Formats: sequence, structure tokens, C-alpha cells
Amino acid sequence: MNLRRTAAIGRKELIQIRRDPRSLLIAVVLPLIQILLLGYGARLDADHIPVYILDQEGSQNSQALLKGFQASPYFDVVKVARNYPELVRAIDADRCKLGIVIPWDFSERLGDGRPVSVQALLDGTDNNSAQLAEGYATAVVDSYANRIQLDWFSRHGLSQQATVPVSVDYRTWFNEDLESKNFIIPGTVALVMALMGALLSSLTIAREWERGTMEQLIASPVTPLEIMIGKLAPYLIIGLLDAISCAAFAVGWFGVPFRGGLGAFFFTTTLFLIVILGIGYMISVATRSQLGASQYALLVTLMPTAMLSGFAFPIDQMPVAIRVVSYVVYSRYYVSALKRIFLGGAGINDLIPEIIAMAIYAAVIAFFATRAFRKQIE
Amino acid sequence: MLNRVWRMIIKEFVQLKRDRYARFVLIVPPILQMLIYGYAATFEVNHVKIAVIDYDHSQESRDLLSRFTFTGRFEAAKILNNERELKSLIGESDIPLALKIGPGFAEALRKGETAHLQVIVDGSNSNTALIAVGYVNQIANQFSQDYARNRLNQVMPAMVANVPQIDLAPRPWYNPDLNSQWFFVPGVIGSITLILVVNITAFAIVREREIGTLEQIMVTPIRPFELILGKTIPFFLVGLADVVLVAVVGTLWFQVPFLGNPLVLLLGVTLFLLSTLGVGLLISTLCSTQQQAFASGFFFLNPAFILSGFAFPITSMPRAMQMLTYLNPLRYFLVILRGTFLKGVGLNVLWPQMTALAALTFVLLVVSVARFRKSID
Amino acid sequence: MDPKPSIVVDNLVKRFGKFVAVNRVSFQIRSGEIFGLLGPNGSGKSTTIRMLCGLLTPTSGSATVVGFDIARQAEEVRRHIGYMSQKFSLYDDLTAVENLEFFGGLYGVTGDALTKGIAWALGMSGLAGNEQALTREFSGGWKQRLALGCAVLHRPRVLFLDEPTAGVDPLSRRQFWDLIHQMSREGITILVTTHYMDEAEYCNRLALIESGRIVEMGTPGEIKRLAIHGNLLLIEAAPLGDALAAVKRAPGVTDASVFGAALHVVVGDQQSERELPAFLAARGIRVDRIEPIAPSLEDAFVSLTGEKPAGDADS
Repeated sequence: MNLRRTAAIGRKELIQIRRDPRSLLIAVVLPLIQILLLGYGARLDADHIPVYILDQEGSQNSQALLKGFQASPYFDVVKVARNYPELVRAIDADRCKLGIVIPWDFSERLGDGRPVSVQALLDGTDNNSAQLAEGYATAVVDSYANRIQLDWFSRHGLSQQATVPVSVDYRTWFNEDLESKNFIIPGTVALVMALMGALLSSLTIAREWERGTMEQLIASPVTPLEIMIGKLAPYLIIGLLDAISCAAFAVGWFGVPFRGGLGAFFFTTTLFLIVILGIGYMISVATRSQLGASQYALLVTLMPTAMLSGFAFPIDQMPVAIRVVSYVVYSRYYVSALKRIFLGGAGINDLIPEIIAMAIYAAVIAFFATRAFRKQIE
Repeated sequence: MLNRVWRMIIKEFVQLKRDRYARFVLIVPPILQMLIYGYAATFEVNHVKIAVIDYDHSQESRDLLSRFTFTGRFEAAKILNNERELKSLIGESDIPLALKIGPGFAEALRKGETAHLQVIVDGSNSNTALIAVGYVNQIANQFSQDYARNRLNQVMPAMVANVPQIDLAPRPWYNPDLNSQWFFVPGVIGSITLILVVNITAFAIVREREIGTLEQIMVTPIRPFELILGKTIPFFLVGLADVVLVAVVGTLWFQVPFLGNPLVLLLGVTLFLLSTLGVGLLISTLCSTQQQAFASGFFFLNPAFILSGFAFPITSMPRAMQMLTYLNPLRYFLVILRGTFLKGVGLNVLWPQMTALAALTFVLLVVSVARFRKSID
Repeated sequence: MDPKPSIVVDNLVKRFGKFVAVNRVSFQIRSGEIFGLLGPNGSGKSTTIRMLCGLLTPTSGSATVVGFDIARQAEEVRRHIGYMSQKFSLYDDLTAVENLEFFGGLYGVTGDALTKGIAWALGMSGLAGNEQALTREFSGGWKQRLALGCAVLHRPRVLFLDEPTAGVDPLSRRQFWDLIHQMSREGITILVTTHYMDEAEYCNRLALIESGRIVEMGTPGEIKRLAIHGNLLLIEAAPLGDALAAVKRAPGVTDASVFGAALHVVVGDQQSERELPAFLAARGIRVDRIEPIAPSLEDAFVSLTGEKPAGDADS
């Protein structure tokens, strides 16, 4: 490899980028818009779950339970339904996710110690929200039940019984308030960078083919590897700028903690960018048509990063075969590194497996990209 | 007029037939994606690995701990001897949860005092953590209830039957086992279609503009409307074929029930395809080069996919963001898909979504045609 | 002029923002005439042709094509015209026949007319036998003739050709002009833009266009006569630069410029022409050859605009 030739290509690329301030602006502003949208939109916290309540009894007791739901920050009691069909329609039409039915013999059963079941009709289509809603609803009912019981014990002179035998104390590490933004946003940085990288690199190559300047480059003594490195290096710098601004936004705007080392962040981001720029480069060299490049670039960036990287869906809950597939998804390593840097406070030493995986990936991609390039010329 | 549109359609299909890449992209990846992502998209929380520290070594502590592994929700992966080991475990391994029972647990219980179960949670994945915490609460609460009844039974057996008891009986509708795949398979169908259709249509017109054939077509007596139609119908048919392909594979493979009326779904599919074609055409008429179309497509699709309610509930978004999702065709289609697949509801419930899609389609197509007229200049 | 001209252009103006691309252009073209718009790149010839085809809306002024107003009756206009751009806009991934069928279909040519038209176009373009080959495999000349075939399949009354021979080898260019003349004989009106001087000679009439304005109009012969006031002399002399400077100061010389390795000099009167060799010799310039020549269009163009047309390396 000849450094001077590589640098010459890089310099040319930088000049072209500088001459085209609109593209540069897009390259810097678009990722921020994406982070902003995804940061606000990609959340899993189930608060303000819409609830309909059907109180068949309408007693003081049932009202007390109802108040429990109204007081909970997790629920929005949209309406107290008049009858069962109204409740059913509301769930069908997606007006509420949870319907609580307090039976007509609620107080009577409480009084004589027969077990009472408060029904929770859940819209199970979104199983995750349903599960969270069920958890919160159980907590409301349990706390009501505890109060009733303690009350009952004291009224019957059994105050020595009037304690809750076991209480659970939680200590949450890394994401103390269990806010989904802290879990999701580091991953969105990876998602945006994957799109950005593939886009930048495939566009620069397509342009070169179209203007016929690629033939010119090939005719010169520059080797395929030099062309690739020279062309991609400037975009690596842009990509790093993007990543920094995305991360700054995540921390400054959305308040995601950043506990790890800056060095670890730069190092893993650089590695990831090399991989993704290389992939974009390989795609556009191999397809040569912009439509093809865009199809394949979408195919290997957006969905895999969103679905198989651990960005939102936990990899350890996937079937074994899919877990194996996820090892091929380059973003998996970056997402894992980002989460551990942001939340876990990891430094370079803690991220050796991720770093090795991405380094191997980068080497493999570089090999295939230069090979595809040679084949394309012949 | 029909003849001119017909010619456009035939031409598109001949081109498609010649394009090996395109044919491949339209058939193989959608099926593969359906199968892989159908499995990958899961928020289920099962067999969560837990670490256990039991300083008490009592009957009671063992009883409580065994309840955790009994359900299948949790799996005791590690027995620790002291807390120091925790530091290198939580956050460093795949164990997100540790239970700690301090010395004197059983003694406190027997004295009628409140005993404490300490839970250390790795909050990095807040979703898994929250659901796991929910399970922990349920188990601990059940243990508490049982213990209290037992305790009372020993003192005054006669009173036990009179202690008030309330529990929540969850009845998940449409998806009684809360199976993640039932929720996500329809979502994957919609997402794959959106990405595919928007991307190919985004190039439809801009590509002809770049090679110059658009100009050649424009000097013929064809009207802008006919041209758009001739460009849209082939992609509509391709999109329709792809939806059917992906939906059939997804439904059969993952055994997702289809309770609704196929005709209602077909109407929804049609409206959704038209609106995505509208998005693609708009991109195609707004952009003057394929590069711009490429970039615009990318930057529409990412938020459209993530902010559709596919995985992240729209109700969890801030108000302003919820308003933005009204512009997203996938948002409506997902409701239609899940409604027809899982809920079996019909037009009486889904009409708002259908109307929204139709309105979106109308606006997008009108703007595209108008933009297209202008862009000739 | 012709009582029923095929194309009438009246004070046509096209502005792009502040830039005036076409500035009050007027001309008329008779049926069956080959009319050339000659000018350098960016002079406004393509913009003019694109307005006449209905691809651009004029800022002001009007024009009719076969009696239809280009602004108000664009659709009627399109029915009767054929257009071919320098890009030879064909579908690379369609065969010759499929391209013909497609464009024929857009013009509403069907059935027998289409079959015959395709056979004719294939014969004309020399593609018979290759009709099932993909267009991307054709050479420039073949693509050009196929594009022409696509543009005239519906038997238009007017044919617009925008730089139709760009990037085509000389032999193909000759063949192409033979086809154009044949069509003109069949009564098709042809408006062609070019910056090739030799091609402009093939036109019946020409308009020289520069910076959006028509500088001169007439038959090639007329233009040459109008442009050159006097006799045109070819002078081979050394050193050339000194010779040019000297000639420009010589009495009776109205214009002088370098053409290749020689000078083209316009001299107003016989007297000055005879004295020129002595005038140069007196200034230490060696004259190798001096003889009267017939003016070419290029001479006329340079004389009229003071500059050489773009792309003159080929001409």
C-alpha cells in the first residue's frame, strides 16, 4: 500500500465534500433529526396505559380500589364503563388496553372471606405492553389487598398478625429508574450510524461510476485497497462527527447517562464505522446500480440492526438458530459496546470481545470489498 | 388512454423480468426476513437467569427461592457465597437479576416482623427488568399471603376462612398466551412491505429522469396522470404479490391465527400499498437524482419503521411525537393487520384507519402529480 | 414567406431566474424544410427546442407548431411531433423491438400500423436481424438510428432533433443526415440544433444563435455572404502571431483570425488585396502561401459573433 496515493484520493474526496456544503449539511443534520425522532419515539415505558373500569358493585370498597387505579401513574382511567359490552367494544376498537371488572358481590365476598377475583381484561395483541400492564395492575390490587387485610387483622385484635411477612427491596444498577430511553437510545446511535455509514459510502462510489471517473482511477497505478481506504477515510471523519453529535444529543438532550470512557467510545465507533463504510462500499461496487445499492443497503442495515442487534429485542430470548444468525450482524457488537459504555461505564479493557469481533469483521469486509472491486473491473 | 397506460405497465414488467437483482430482491429476502425477524422480535421474558445469595440457609429462605425456579420464568444460574461476587456478575454476564436473602430472614418471619428479600437488578434492559420485577413481586406477594395464612392458621385456625382475599385474574384477549410472535409477525409483514415498496417506487421516476427517457415520454401525448398510473400499477401488483407471499409464509410458519375477514384485510392492504406508493412517488418527484432518492428513502424509512407501533407503543410516545405518527401509513396498517389477524374485527372498528390511509393516499398522489407537472420545467 | 409555415416562433423568451436563456427569438419554418439552430453550448438552442416540444413553458412570447399553440394546445402539438435528444433516451434493458413498441404505444400507434412502422424503423436503422438484442449492446450509431425510429414511428409532421449526432462516429453521422434528408423529402419539417459547422451546411436554412439571441438567419450561402464583406484569403505565414498582428493593421482588412496553422483574412477591396504580400514582407514576415478561398460557415460564425463555436475540435 502506498500512503501517498491513498492520501491523494482522500484529499480529492475531502475537496469534493467541502465544495458541496449542502451534502455536508445533510450528512450532519440528518442524523441529529433521526436521533431526535427516535429518542422521543422509541420508548417502551408503559405509563398512562388507557384503562376502562367496569364497577358492577359501586360500593365504597369498589370505589377505593378504583381510586387505586386512578392514583397510579401507570394508568389513565379513561372511563368508568356502564356495562360489559361497552368495555368489550372499547378493547376491540383500541380505546383502552386494559379493562378492570369489579364484580357485583365484591364487598360481600370481602366481608365473609370468600376469595374475590378482580378481572383484568387485557388487550393481548401487544404482549409486552399487556405484560407490563398486568404487572402494574397486580401491584395496585395487591397493595389494596394488603391494606384490607391489615385493616381486618387490626379490627379483629390480631395486630401481631398485621404485618406483611416479606417485603421486596430493589436495588437497580446501571439504569436506576428503569427508564426505557436509557436502554434504547444508545442503540439508536448504532441504528443511525449504520444507515448513515452505508448511505455515505455507497453514494460516493456510485457518483464515481456515473461520472466515469472510476475508470480514470482504475487506469492509474492505484490499487483497489488504496482506492477504498482513500475514498472512505474522509467519510470516517464525517461519521465520527455524526457519532459524537448523536452521543452528545443523547446525553445532553435526553439525559442518558454516559459513564464509560470516551476513548472506548471513539475506538468502538471507529471500528464500527470502518465495518459499515466497508459494507456500503462493497454493496455499491458489487451492484453498480443505485437502485440495487439502495435495496441491499437497506436490507443489511435497517432491519438487522433494529431486530438482531439487541437494540430493543433481547438476544438471549431468541431461539438458538436466530442467536447464531445474530453473530453475523455487525451492529450487535457495537450496540452491546454502546450500552455497556453508556450505562455500564465500560472502558476499552471491558470491551475486548466486541472489539475483536468488529476488527475481524472489518478485515473480512475489506478483503471481500477489494475482491469485488477487482472482479468488477475485469 | 388505456393503451398508453397498458404500454407503460408492460414495459415495467419486461424491465423487471430482465433485472436479475430486482427479481431476487423481491422474492428471497422478504421470505428470509419474515422467518428470521419473526423469531427475533420478541419481548418475552422467560428463563431469566438469576444469581442467588442465601445467607440465611433456612427452611423459609429455601422455600421462597424455590418458588422462583418453579415457574420457568427464572433459572438459578449461579449460587453465590457473598455480595462481592455480584460486582463482577451483574452487567458483565448474561445474568440480569440477583436475589439476596440476608441472615435473620426466617427469624424475622417467625417473630411476625417484616423480612426482607433484596433484589439486585441490571436495569440496562429496562423492559426485561420491569417485567422480571413484576414476576418477582407476584412471587414474593404469593409467598407473603401464604405465609400469613399459615401463621394465622397456627394461632386461630377458625379465623383463616374469614380473611379477605383479593387477586387479579388477568384475561388476555386475542393472544391468551401473550405470545410475542402473534404480535410481531403481522408487524414484520407490514414493515417488510413498507421498506420494499417505498424503496422501489422512490426510484421509479427519478431513474427515468436521469437516463433521459422521462423527457422522451413527456413529449408523447401521455398525460402526467397516465404516466403516474402506468408507473404505479406495476409496483402495486409487485407489492401485492409480496404482501401475499410474506403473509402466507409468516402465518403458516408461525401459526398465527387469522380470525378476521380476508376481504377487510385485502382492502387494508390495498390502501396501505397505495399510500406507500404515494410516499415513494413523492420522493421520486421531489428528487432530481437517484442519489437524493436513495438518501430520502433511507431517512423516511427508519423513523417510519421505528415509530409505527411495530415494537414501541405509540401511547408511550410524547404527545407531539404521537401526532407525527399520524403521517405514517405503517401506523394504520399495523392496526389493521393486528385487528384482522388477532382480533377478528371488521370495518365497523377499522374504518378510522381505512379512512386515514385513503386520505393519506389521496393527498400524496395529488401532491406527486402536481409536483410532477412542475418538475418538468 | 410560405402562407402556411409549419412552425411559427414569435418573440419567444425563457428566463431561469435572472438568467435569460432565450431572448426574443422569432423565426418561421416551412413544411418540409430542414432548419438548423446553430450556436455554441449554452446559447439557448436546446431551451428553444424544449419549449417548442412542450417540455418547458415559455416566459413570454408565443409559438405554434403545425398550427397549434404550444402553450395552450400542448397535447395537440405532442401528437404531431417527434423529438430526439442527444442522450438517445432509450431503455437499455429493452430490446430494439420493445423500445419501438413502447414508444409507438405511447403515441397510439397500434395494430398493422405498428407492425409496419417497426419493420420500417428496423430497416431504416439497419437493426433488422438484431431486433431481439438488448439496446445496451448497440453502438452509438445504432442507438441513434433506433432513437430516431422511436421518434418518427407515429409519422409526425415535425421532427425536433436536439444535437442528434453528439458522440457518434463520422460514418454514422453521414448515414443519419441521409435519413434526415429523406424524411424532409417526404414532407416532414425538421428543426435541428447542432454545433457542428459541417452539419449546419446540410440544412436548408439556418439561424445563428448566441447568448439567447438570433444573430443571423438565412440559407448557409446567404449567411456566408452576409457575414463576409469582401474576399476571404487564406494566408500561411511565419511567425503566425506576428502575421496576425500585422494583418489586422493592414489597410482594407476588415477581419482576421487564426484557423489551424493559417490565417483567414477578409479584405474589402482588390487594391488592398494586391498590396497585402508586400505589406507583410515589409514587416519581416515570410509569406508561404496566399490565395482566395470560399468562406465556410465557421468563417461566417466567427465573423458574426467574434468567437468560435464550442466543440469546434470535431469540426
